[in-house]
Amino acid sequence: MAREDDLKLVQGVGITKTFGGVQALSDVDFEVEKGTIVGLIGPNGAGKTTLFNIVAGAIAPSSGVVRFQGEDITGWSAYKVCRRGIARTFQVTRPFGEMTCLENVAVGVVNRQPGCRRSQWTVLAAECLEAVGLKDLAATEARHLNVVQKKKLEIARALATRPELLMLDEVLGGLNSQEIQEAVAFIQGLRDQRRLTILWIEHVMGAIMQATEKVIVLDQGKILTTGTPTEVVNDPRVIHAYLGD
Amino acid sequence: MSQGASILKSNRKNFLYGAGLAAFAVLPWTLGAYNQHVLIVCLFYTMMAASWNLIAGYTGQISFGHAAFAGIGAYVSGILAVKAGLNPWVGVAAGTVAAAFFGLLVGLLCLRMGGIYLSLTTLGFSEILHIIINNEYEITRGTMGLQVPGLTTSYSKISYFYIFLVGAVITLTIVYKLVHSNVGLNFRAVQNDERAASALGVDVVRTRLLAFTVSSALAGMAGALFGHYMMLITPHIPSLDQQFLVLSMTVIGGLGSFVGPVIGAFCLEILSEYIRAWGEYHVLVFGLVALVVARFAPKGLVGIYKAWRGKKRPETA
Repeated sequence: MAREDDLKLVQGVGITKTFGGVQALSDVDFEVEKGTIVGLIGPNGAGKTTLFNIVAGAIAPSSGVVRFQGEDITGWSAYKVCRRGIARTFQVTRPFGEMTCLENVAVGVVNRQPGCRRSQWTVLAAECLEAVGLKDLAATEARHLNVVQKKKLEIARALATRPELLMLDEVLGGLNSQEIQEAVAFIQGLRDQRRLTILWIEHVMGAIMQATEKVIVLDQGKILTTGTPTEVVNDPRVIHAYLGD
Repeated sequence: MSQGASILKSNRKNFLYGAGLAAFAVLPWTLGAYNQHVLIVCLFYTMMAASWNLIAGYTGQISFGHAAFAGIGAYVSGILAVKAGLNPWVGVAAGTVAAAFFGLLVGLLCLRMGGIYLSLTTLGFSEILHIIINNEYEITRGTMGLQVPGLTTSYSKISYFYIFLVGAVITLTIVYKLVHSNVGLNFRAVQNDERAASALGVDVVRTRLLAFTVSSALAGMAGALFGHYMMLITPHIPSLDQQFLVLSMTVIGGLGSFVGPVIGAFCLEILSEYIRAWGEYHVLVFGLVALVVARFAPKGLVGIYKAWRGKKRPETA
């Protein structure tokens, strides 16, 4: 029994969130097993980003429990959740525009390794930039980046916090099919080489089909179904939710 | 090769700073008493503007309580000297600690609010303090001002100049060290985007609280030194006039730049000596200029200089 719990890196039980009168999430149960890539899909407004924000501590749920490695982290502040080992990217990127790319990443480094010297964080941050292919832009202020580069910077910053769980929020937006292939290989590489567990919101279904072991489908704030990518895309309820009658 | 060149360049820069500081240190010997006084006041405003820049420029918290914290430093030190006969130097230390303490309290109260609410709360705090000082005549001597002893046994402007020079160097060193440390990264991250900062592990409230407390302490030290230099502490020190003068100096010099507040403090203080005849209108004029600068050149004189140099020598940009 205990071993089964160990396999669940993150678990949500009965997560409910209301904004005023709007029910954004109702009674959502989910789990992400250690070492897997799990896709989180659903039509616009299904509550995917709200669920992300709750796990990451950006907002507190109205009710329900979030557990990370068996520990109740419900309602923790975002910075504590980050220091516990959960990193996230933002769908609409939020770079520190007036800071260089290297400094952007360094913020993640120094808060996970307090007392880290400049000479140390320079190296560590440069490694993260290199991993996403932004090494040459290390000294460039982040506001000068294009959309794709900003998305890469989001991932580099998240990696800098040395997470166990990486939550990606639509990182493929704006990429062409060739770039999507590269990005999928890169994300699979993160899991295989860095031993990360990944929870991934994405609209590009091809990427989800290719990269994930499990897909959670949200619709109107509820879990519609959970299963392997093939099961999910062949589920009539999922097709109905996306395409209507 | 390029590293060697950059070391040479940074050595040259340090040498220039050292030479400039040395030249400045002998300057008062060549000046009359009035100009010496102007230099001392310039150094006081350097401390005020540089410490206000720490919160406003580096963490983006526009506090209107900075002059009030200087007032706390001045009155605590002055009252201890007058009523308890304490050595003024001990008083300056006590004033600094008191300002830090009140900074921490006000910070705890309102830093979670952020933005405009912080500005309004500190504005209110400043006015409350002003009213208390005006009315507690028995303790503060109200608008008459509190006569306090000086810091040195024999009064000499030259020795005060050096005291204020050391104070300014201490203030600037603390600001520089903080901004260039890991904490400084957090300051700028919080200013750029709080949500992204907290997602990267930055404790936003603690970061702001640290900046606010250090900044208040430095203002308290500046105020305490200034009170003992003038030997008369009036409610003008913790007034909004002072607050907006310090704000104008920082914004016109260059908000968020290290040398900006120093340049702003010297330019505006020297300028206001020339336009003294306008009375209090000079603060109004500075405020208007600061508004225009904030709108059209948000990085102030330093930003204008950098843009101009960048155009002139694009290869170094």
